[in-house]
Amino acid sequence: MKKFDVIIIGGGHNGLVAACVLSKKGNKVLVIEKNEKLGGLANYSEYLSNISQEVLKELNITVEKNTSDNFVSALSEDLNHTVLQINGSKNVQFLQTSASDSDQKSFINLINKYDLFARTLRSFMFKKPPRVKSGSRSDIWQLFTMGFKVRLLGKKNMRELLRVIGLNIADDLEDNIESDCLKGLISNEAVIGTNLGARSPGSILNLLYNQATNNSLFRINKFNTNSFLKSIEDICKKNNVEIQTDKKVEKINISNQSVNSVLLNTGEQIETSAIISNSDPKTTYLELVGASNLDTDFIRRTNNYRSRGTVAKVNIEFKNDIKIKNLESKYLSGKFVYAPNIKYIEHAFNANKYNKLTSNPCLEFYINKNKISANVYFIPYLKKPSHNKEQILKNVKLILDKFIEENQILSSLIETPNDIESKYNISGGHWSHGDMEIDQLLMMRPFYGSSQYSTPINGLYLCSAGTHPGGGITGINGVNAAKQLLKDKGNG
Amino acid sequence: MPKTKYDVAIIGGGHNGLTTACYLAKAGLKVAVIERHSYVGGAAVSRELHPGWTYSNCSYVCSLLRPEIFRDLELSKHGLQIIPYEGSATMLDDGRFYAHYSDHDLNYRSIAKFSKKDAEAYERFSKDVMRQCKIIKPLLKMTPPDPTSFRPKDIMGLLDFAKFFAAKDELGGLGEKEIYDTIRFWTMSVRDYLEEYFESDVVKAHMAGSAIIGTALGPYSPGSAYVLLHHYMGEVDGTVGAWGYSRGGMGSITKAMAASLKASGGDIIAGSPVTKILIKNNRSHGVVLENGDEIFADKLVSNLDVKRTFLKVVEKENIPDDFYNAVKNFKIRGSSGKLNIALDDLPIWKSIPEGDPAGTGDLHITQSIEEMEGAYDDWKDGRWSKLPYVDMCIPSINDPTMAPQGKHYMSVFVQYVPYNLADGGWTEEKRLEFGKHVMNRIGSYSENFNDIIKHAEIRTPKELEEEVGLTEGNIFQGELTMDQLMFNRPIPGYAQYKTPIKNLYMCGSSTHPGGGVMGAPGANAAREILIDLKKQINTHYI
Amino acid sequence: MDNTLSFTKPLLETPFHKRTFEACYNNDWYRWAGYKIAREYSNTELEYTSMRNTAGVLDITPMHKYDIKGKDAIKFVDKLVTRDVTQIKPNQVMYIIWCNEDGNVIDDGTVFCFDTNHLRIFCAERNLNWFSDTAIGFDAEVNDVSDSIAALAFQGPLSCKILHLLNVKNIEQLKPFFFDSFDLNGSNVTISRTGFSGDLGYEIWCNPQDAINVWDSLFKFNRDYKVLPAGMNALEMVRIEAGFIQPNADFMSAEQALRPNRMRTPFELGMGWLVDLNKNYFTGKKSLINLKNKSLTKKLVGLDIQGDKPAIGSVLYDKNKKEIGIVTAGMWSPSLKSNIAFGYVDKDHMKIGSKVFAEIYHPEELEYKKIWAECLVVKKQFFNPPRRHKVPADI
Repeated sequence: MKKFDVIIIGGGHNGLVAACVLSKKGNKVLVIEKNEKLGGLANYSEYLSNISQEVLKELNITVEKNTSDNFVSALSEDLNHTVLQINGSKNVQFLQTSASDSDQKSFINLINKYDLFARTLRSFMFKKPPRVKSGSRSDIWQLFTMGFKVRLLGKKNMRELLRVIGLNIADDLEDNIESDCLKGLISNEAVIGTNLGARSPGSILNLLYNQATNNSLFRINKFNTNSFLKSIEDICKKNNVEIQTDKKVEKINISNQSVNSVLLNTGEQIETSAIISNSDPKTTYLELVGASNLDTDFIRRTNNYRSRGTVAKVNIEFKNDIKIKNLESKYLSGKFVYAPNIKYIEHAFNANKYNKLTSNPCLEFYINKNKISANVYFIPYLKKPSHNKEQILKNVKLILDKFIEENQILSSLIETPNDIESKYNISGGHWSHGDMEIDQLLMMRPFYGSSQYSTPINGLYLCSAGTHPGGGITGINGVNAAKQLLKDKGNG
Repeated sequence: MPKTKYDVAIIGGGHNGLTTACYLAKAGLKVAVIERHSYVGGAAVSRELHPGWTYSNCSYVCSLLRPEIFRDLELSKHGLQIIPYEGSATMLDDGRFYAHYSDHDLNYRSIAKFSKKDAEAYERFSKDVMRQCKIIKPLLKMTPPDPTSFRPKDIMGLLDFAKFFAAKDELGGLGEKEIYDTIRFWTMSVRDYLEEYFESDVVKAHMAGSAIIGTALGPYSPGSAYVLLHHYMGEVDGTVGAWGYSRGGMGSITKAMAASLKASGGDIIAGSPVTKILIKNNRSHGVVLENGDEIFADKLVSNLDVKRTFLKVVEKENIPDDFYNAVKNFKIRGSSGKLNIALDDLPIWKSIPEGDPAGTGDLHITQSIEEMEGAYDDWKDGRWSKLPYVDMCIPSINDPTMAPQGKHYMSVFVQYVPYNLADGGWTEEKRLEFGKHVMNRIGSYSENFNDIIKHAEIRTPKELEEEVGLTEGNIFQGELTMDQLMFNRPIPGYAQYKTPIKNLYMCGSSTHPGGGVMGAPGANAAREILIDLKKQINTHYI
Repeated sequence: MDNTLSFTKPLLETPFHKRTFEACYNNDWYRWAGYKIAREYSNTELEYTSMRNTAGVLDITPMHKYDIKGKDAIKFVDKLVTRDVTQIKPNQVMYIIWCNEDGNVIDDGTVFCFDTNHLRIFCAERNLNWFSDTAIGFDAEVNDVSDSIAALAFQGPLSCKILHLLNVKNIEQLKPFFFDSFDLNGSNVTISRTGFSGDLGYEIWCNPQDAINVWDSLFKFNRDYKVLPAGMNALEMVRIEAGFIQPNADFMSAEQALRPNRMRTPFELGMGWLVDLNKNYFTGKKSLINLKNKSLTKKLVGLDIQGDKPAIGSVLYDKNKKEIGIVTAGMWSPSLKSNIAFGYVDKDHMKIGSKVFAEIYHPEELEYKKIWAECLVVKKQFFNPPRRHKVPADI
């Protein structure tokens, strides 16, 4: 039987990043990926917005950036679209809008407020989250410094942060802004990918959390995905990481509460001293580890971990290059959002609550000549996969028809959360590997007994988005998981 | 009226204002409660709106009233008695009913009728909620510490807060796992929380009711589990989570408080509302009433909600802009309606046998949490719920004083009802239509309900606002969401019963720990005032 | 026996109720798992004596019974409990305890093996959810069969003799912790040589329809050998003498404890012998491995107490009057003529032979006598006569 120091289950970006860190320290690493292509969910976007600077520094790589102007367009039914130009988190400019001057001012103030809070939270993002009452001195110190950093905001800002952490985005927007379009635009950032509506408490926290890992509130794509993936693949190659694709790990073999090997779908067994799973926590524990190796209370918590996807990927290829009505063509390179007002978003969210398909989803999309790559929400994950994809496409087309100059659809690809689940083996098809609500964040992510990247099984670690700091393509999870493994091994 | 000067004048004779007044009077201060109606009570009142029947026409059940306050104010001596519930039930469309009983074994079998696993899980659920109640109990009495301040009082407060969180005294200490459980309970949605224990829709729906009473949240909203805790943390005779009727209606509570106040030498000035708080050099020194009278006091305490206080009776120029805006943005959306009905006979329910204790406590109509969430969706769009969640009770079954012999008073609390009705707002017609909608729904579950209605008082959030003074009809004087709880209640930086104006305090449910007929805000405010006056008092609560 | 749910009848009646009702002269009932069980039929001391002298009959129908069926039945139970049950054979019974992830005991019980695909667990507390959640990932189905099995405990020196007189074939050859099917006066019953009296005894399991016949049979020879129905009070006495501890009496079941620090590990309960840390993974194994090497801060021990005033609920102190523990169960034992108890002591007093002190409040005609009694730490099993394990059993 072949033997490795570390086997990484899943070749998503976190797994690859972990492979880089581990192989750099001289470990013999194997990455096993179910699909033909590496990169996992990162492949859904041509550009990524939030690869962590610390991760780039850690890996010592540079990634090709998208240097064009960053535009965000909020589409309006009356065709008076709002277009923003984003240059970094504090530099947001209105290029065109029908919102009043005072609204624009309030908008900027609000963005700056969120930016300030996001920067405070940012300092919690990179490190492994401290556990409460774990007895560990570094945890206590970290909790203390976290509290201290919040205090550094000053009285007024600290109070506002403590107030908005539990607040819903709709209330904060309605207190400050009149324009539906602007409210919808910010709400989009707060609720996309979640099981929250604009009126749900926790939506602001989700927005801040996202922003803490991004350079800007609007998740403007900066880094070229392929460049990023290639960079980390190159490091892996350089460090002799073995990568096997088109192979699936069926089981992790455990004896005496320690990992010893993996079993592949080909029947092959590969020996190893440690495993990092890039699979989501539910799949890792229930499928790969198996209930017979876990405490019953732990299995309860695994089952209770909420991971219901709400975003579908819709790619449409048109006959001709796409033009947006009443929008200059130079803005076509930017991000488009269709979330016209809070009520609209709430209604789309309502249907999702009942596992029903809304006829009026929200859209976030990019245009590349004649192709649209869209995130459509809320499209619920269904226990029995039975999505009417034609209906989804029809609903999306109805929306696009309001804005796109006459064009013919050549082909389309729709991947619902159920598709994402089966394609990438992510429980619930959730693109953050689990809901990002307060009780499933920080030291409670994914849940007690499985935080800080460790698991109850010796030698088994988690590095997926189901760990801190959650989703978004940051690479932080991978780095931290690898570091934890090294620390436990004694050479971290 | 002669220009009497008081040590403390309390604006508003609701139960919190009366509580504050009683404690201050006990400390020997000269106090007056100023109430605009001819009767005190606020939302805890008993009104004879139909000859022979007494209505608890706002709040209707008692559980949260702090026992220490009951003792300190000698409310029993002044006529107050609480009669515990015997059961509760949810009636289903298919003709079945789901019930809880005070008899532990009967309760188990009742739940087991729907799911054996759930009947067993109920034990664990109760235990976990009880644990949370014990953890939160000492927090109710605290003045929230200001986490942004470095004053010794606040640092000590934060340490106390952490200490209570670890529950060494109440529970022998909590470990990491239990602390996360507490955080989860305070932040999760009640639906997610209940799903971790129960499988049956009905069981979950019955439990989730307490999470939506009076709130602007649905059972799927994060933070709704906290509201459940807020309702469960009361006690009747040491049983945490028990509810009871106030004999003679909720007004008995405030009548007893008023009597206690008078017995301690306090005054009640009733009949005319306060129109303005007199302020000079950022200090309050009195009030002006609508009838022209002026009342002076060294200290003023407002029992009005924070919006009514600072947007109505305090002139804008006296308040810093930040504070004013924060008050404007304070969330106080009403979501409830109330029907008070005089019945000529005992209602016969299609599903619940006569005499069954399940029919003597709170009664609900709902099928599932999904249906309750749908009711919330309607409210978000500015409509009353098509399938409203009702929390009904017939206090006269166990309280012999509410109605003539053989006849009954029924209280119906309805979620959800918007304050701002879409399509033109509330009119007299719409109000009646709403009432009819609810009564028809109830009637379809009963053999005789529609035939025995003698009188119905129908109240939307608008009536609650007009008559009781609850802004937008929110029964808690402010929503119970994390952004408005603890050190955020009512306004961050002003959570310690004080206001930007010297000598002006707040004591209503807009302050910590929030709404429900608790008395805790009132007693906490009294404590702060006594500290400021450097006066000592030795009671069970303070 | 009508057990339909009605608010006028909150409690269930066991299939034996017709007989127990007649026999319970005082109408002194106890609530056990929603059933009515007699606390005392006639006189506790006489009922207790019957279990030590002739035989006593106890209605134990309210015990919870769970069927485990499936290919992985044994694997599932092995994952559930702390000891190795993989070698269990048909007709064998094993005493088991199970813990939560922290190694705190949830409950104890017995597991019966019908065949490798069918086991049955008997226990004092409800465990349907815990068992169902533990069964996830195993080819094993858990079913609550509590209501479909009537059960009696038949305990005492003459228990085997009477069964023999009733022509229960070869009953004397039944080994301790084994069971089999038998014909008892025309009724098909399962009899196991198990029980909590610490003496020779059996548990008889039958269909509810056969309950009355089985009950009557056991009293058939009462003209010659006095058999008494025994209630919960008498049961409490014999179980203390036998050294059997009870969840929610001597320790809080981990699934039910309100206060986290009231839960106990097997080591603290003196049940370390039931923990096999070398077997396959079971819930709590990881924690118990960590705990095994840590020294205990408290332990449940047996106490032999000076004097004759029962120490129920007494606080325990060391010689310097420092509080070090509490008594959880206690009695004056008529058989041993000793004042015995179970209690928690701290680490300095765990060794057998240590001395601690109990502060006993004894009610004497409206006045409380405060007694400072010296206690000797002893093994919990106070009463264990040889006839209990003899094969063939005495007939």
